[in-house]
Parts: sequence; C-alpha cells; structure tokens
Amino acid sequence: MTWLVWRQYRAQGAIAFGLLAAVAAVVLIDGFQMAAHWHSMLVTCAGNSACLEGQPLVGNGVVSDLPYVSLIVPVVLGMLWGAPLVAHELETRTSDFAWAQSVTRTRWLTIKAGWLLLAAAVCGGALAALTTWWSAPINAWQGSAFEPGPFDTQGIVPVGYAVFAMALGIAAGTVARRTLPAIAVVLGGFIGLRLLISDVLRPHYIAAVTHYYSLTSSFTPPTSAWVLGQGAISRTGVVVPQGWGSLGYVVPAACRSLLAGPATGKGGSMSAMFSCLQAHGWRGFASYQPGYRYWPFQGIETGIYVLLAAALIAVTFAIVRRRDA
Amino acid sequence: MNTAIETHELSKRYRRVRALTGCTVTVPQGRVCALVGPNGAGKTTLLRMLAGLASPTSGTASVLGGAPRQDPGFLSEIGFLAQEIPLYRRLSAEDHIRIGARMNQRWDASLAHTRLAELRIPLDQPVGTLSGGQRAQVALALTLAKRPRVLLLDEPFAALDPLARQNFLATLTSAAADAEGGLTLVLSSHLITDLERVCDHIILLAGSRVQIYGDIDTLLTEHKVLVGSNHDTAAIERTHTVVQAVATAERSTLLVHLNGPVTDPAYQAEDVTLEELVLAYMGAGEASAAKHLTTVGEGS
Repeated sequence: MTWLVWRQYRAQGAIAFGLLAAVAAVVLIDGFQMAAHWHSMLVTCAGNSACLEGQPLVGNGVVSDLPYVSLIVPVVLGMLWGAPLVAHELETRTSDFAWAQSVTRTRWLTIKAGWLLLAAAVCGGALAALTTWWSAPINAWQGSAFEPGPFDTQGIVPVGYAVFAMALGIAAGTVARRTLPAIAVVLGGFIGLRLLISDVLRPHYIAAVTHYYSLTSSFTPPTSAWVLGQGAISRTGVVVPQGWGSLGYVVPAACRSLLAGPATGKGGSMSAMFSCLQAHGWRGFASYQPGYRYWPFQGIETGIYVLLAAALIAVTFAIVRRRDA
Repeated sequence: MNTAIETHELSKRYRRVRALTGCTVTVPQGRVCALVGPNGAGKTTLLRMLAGLASPTSGTASVLGGAPRQDPGFLSEIGFLAQEIPLYRRLSAEDHIRIGARMNQRWDASLAHTRLAELRIPLDQPVGTLSGGQRAQVALALTLAKRPRVLLLDEPFAALDPLARQNFLATLTSAAADAEGGLTLVLSSHLITDLERVCDHIILLAGSRVQIYGDIDTLLTEHKVLVGSNHDTAAIERTHTVVQAVATAERSTLLVHLNGPVTDPAYQAEDVTLEELVLAYMGAGEASAAKHLTTVGEGS
C-alpha cells in the first residue's frame, strides 16, 4: 500500500523536495550573512541600543520576503496534494480498482492520508525551522517574534497550518467528489480561517495584561511583548488609540481649546493636552501579551489547527467507509 | 449444487430514482451468467452491490455465503471490473501488477505476466498510452490475478472492437476452464449476442426489475413461439403465459411461457432463440415499467 502512495506521488514529491532544498540553500547563505552582520553590529555598537536600532539589518529583499512566501506553502500543498487524494480517484474511477482489491477502504485511506499528512507536517516544519533560524538576528534586533507575521511563520504553528490545509483538502475532495471545487474550498477556507483565528481569536487565548498609567508620565510595554493596544481611556470608557487621530471627536469640552495644536498639526503642546485629560479623569493604558506567553500561544494555536484537522479526517473516514463507490 | 450468488428482494434507490427493485435471483457456483438488459435497467447497480461497492437500500444479497462487505477476506474472493476499465493512466501494467501484489494476500503475478505476454501487451508503458482493447486486457489480467471465486464484469465489451472482444472472451473462457468450476462469472451487456456463446445462465433486467433468470437451456425449452391464423388468443392465455404477441392481418405470433403441451391445432409451435426470448422479455419489461411510471404520474 505504501508503495502505491510512493508510486503515485514520487514525481511530485521529488519536485517538492527539490524546491525545499533550493529554498534551504538560499536561506542558509543569506542567514549566515545576516548573522555575521548582526554580530559585527553588536561589536560596533557595544550594547548601545540606540546605535543598534539606527542600523538596517535586513538588506536582501528577496530573502526577507521569504517568511511571507512560506505562508502560502500549506495552502498550496492542500490544493495540489490534499484535494485530489480521494476526489481524483473518484473522478477517474480508479477508486473502483483500489477498493476492489483485498484492502479495506479504511486501511487504504489510513495509509494514503497518513503519508500525505506526514509530508505536510514535514514541509511545514522544515520551512518553519529555516525561517526561525534565519529570523534569529531579526528577533534579537526587535526583541520579539510575537507580532503577527513572525508569529505565523516561526516556531511550531506552521506545522499546524500545513496539517490542517492538507486535511481540509482531503476532506473537501471527499465531500465534493471533484478536485476543482475542493481546491476552491481549500483556498477560501484556509485563508478565511487563518484570518479569523489570527485576527479575532489569537489576541484572547489568554486574557491580555492591561497596564494603566498617568498620562503625564509615559509607559513602554516590554519589547518582548505583543502590544494589542495603547492610548488613553476616559472614565466612561471612551478610548483614543495612540496616534491620537480620533482625539478631536471625544475630547472633553474643557480641553477643547488645546486641540488646535495637535489636531491641526500646528505644533500645539501635546503635554498640555495630556495634563488636561488627566485632570478630567483620563488615563493612559497599554494592553499586551507578555513575551513569556509566546510558546503557550504557539501551542494553543497549533493545537486548534491540529484538532480541526483531526475532525476533518474523521469526517473523511466516515464518508469513505459508508459511501457507495 | 452450491449457490454462488443469491439475492432476495434487493433494491437500490438513488434519491427518487429506482435503480433496482425487488431483485431476487440465484446463480449457482461455476456458472457463466449473462446479465442482460437495456441501458439503465439496473445491471451496474446490481453488480456494484454484489461487489460491495454499493450498499442496498433494502433487501439482501449473499455472495459465497456472506453479505458483500468491506473485509479483506470477502474482497479477496471477488473480482470486479467496472465499465470504465479504471486503471491509473500514468502507471504501467507492471506498476499495477506490483500494486496488486501489495494490496492482495492472494496474488498470482505470474498469471498476469503470462497472459499479457501472450497478448504482446507492453508491461512498461503507461496504460494510458495503450489501446482500449489492450487496457481492457490489462484490467482483466489484474482482476484474474486476484484468483477470485466470483468474477463480476460490467459491460466488458463496450469499448472493444470485434477482434479484441474475441481475445477477451478467449481469456475469460480459459480462466473459467482453469478454475474447474471454482469460478462463477457474471457478465453484463445490453446485447445478448455478445454473451450467447459463453453463458449458460442468464439474468434479464428491464425497468429496474428482474424479468427472467435461470439456466438458459431450461428457459429455452420452457418457451415456444406459437404461430397461427387465429386472432383470438384467449384460449392460449388460459393455459400459457403470453410474453409477447405480434399480430398481422394474416397471422399471430405469440411468444409464450409454456404450462404444458400446446393442444390448440390453430397454432404451430416453434423453438425460440435466446435473442428472441431476451427481446420479448425486454419489451415486456419496458412496457410494464412505462405503465408503472404512468400510474405513478397519475397518482401524484
């Protein structure tokens, strides 16, 4: 059975492996250069953080986009390998050949889906490992990999995405019985779910830490943290995010005279405005996820995708076993 | 004689379409059975249910003493070749033989090799590049390599030219001979002429129902064509079952299922050919199906 999977996928597997190796070579070369550059910066600046921040770190444009390219790899694997896994056999009726041999459909699907899910996990894991290693100087420079973007391309979450996209492709192909609609479902479903989870769910895996402070002082969240929001909040809960663009709409009447400056950009005193707001019960706030929650968040997000993948695979098994071929 | 295939009131419905209705048939072991009927009569549905690839809506089927099921023991006894001759187009015959070896406990690779070598079919070419006849031979060789005890072939001749048909039939008859009665064959076709030479048993479906089934020789002796000038068939119908009646100005031709000797001197009894028998029952089946549809239409 494994031989059948190997025989069916060896050409595609070789192409995927070749691409992965090429990417790895480029990333390794660039990564070593960047690491060397980072070390020379560390030596030059001798621990002076202002000096470090003043220097550009990433020079090579092509490779610096690599993390974002790696975001589409799971969905491509799900479309090209996952969607046809059952659907193409049904379309070409080769299921009539495979299911008439002395192997149960359960075993047939276990082996086919098992190998492809493993391949997806390996691809996702390899790309994530490369990106994580390559990003080490950038992570050090920025002090964090918790922001959306780095978080989505490093650590273990890419494995979860890859396994989920593959499972989605397999399940969609089984339900639709045709490859093309299944590909569309993978594309739409994967991107939609990724956006939903990263934008709506992820900030709330663990309740965020909110720090309140006087507007006459200043507060900077730890650099390792993922800052969800910072700004000013009134006693009644009106929020003005940092940047202060919306201040004009909600500023108390007493402070309105000070608005001319910041609102019109004529160099009015921001500190006078903050003193006035503070006097009228406003406070500064910063809401963030502390850096030590990076790995718990990685674990929770990976877990969500792996569980969804398991549910999709369970549905696939139920359909393949019961369906009339 | 042992029974290889037995169905009781086997029915299959696809949403609102009746694919097969109340099918009750038996096929003794070692027989070569023709499954005949017009397109859409339910032949494919019956074969797929016997192979365990489709499940009945109601009724039961028993193949080699057990219900068709997804179980290695059952699957290894059954050879099934679908109408579309499904093979992996980009893989070679040799690849398929290796796949078979890995997906079957009992696998006679040398049998497949020998048959394909005899037919000079290249083993190393992608099967998608072979001719339709060669592909059918590859698929048949793979099905036979399982050494099944029941072989179900759905419209195996549909894509074949006359020479390829002949080769295909020769392969089948030699396989049946090799098995020495241990192989039961069911072949479907909408043309009885394809199957007449090899089959000794028949199941005739029309309008999703079984019209007749049984041993071909027995059926032929049970039926006669009555030719006579008498237009009043009431007397005949009292003793015999009229399957088909054709009347012209001069004479009536009746195909009847006999219930005793023909005593009416107005009629002359003639032997019936298998083709006449099949066509008469197909016509009767289609007519009753049409009548049934009309009744359903009026009822709703």
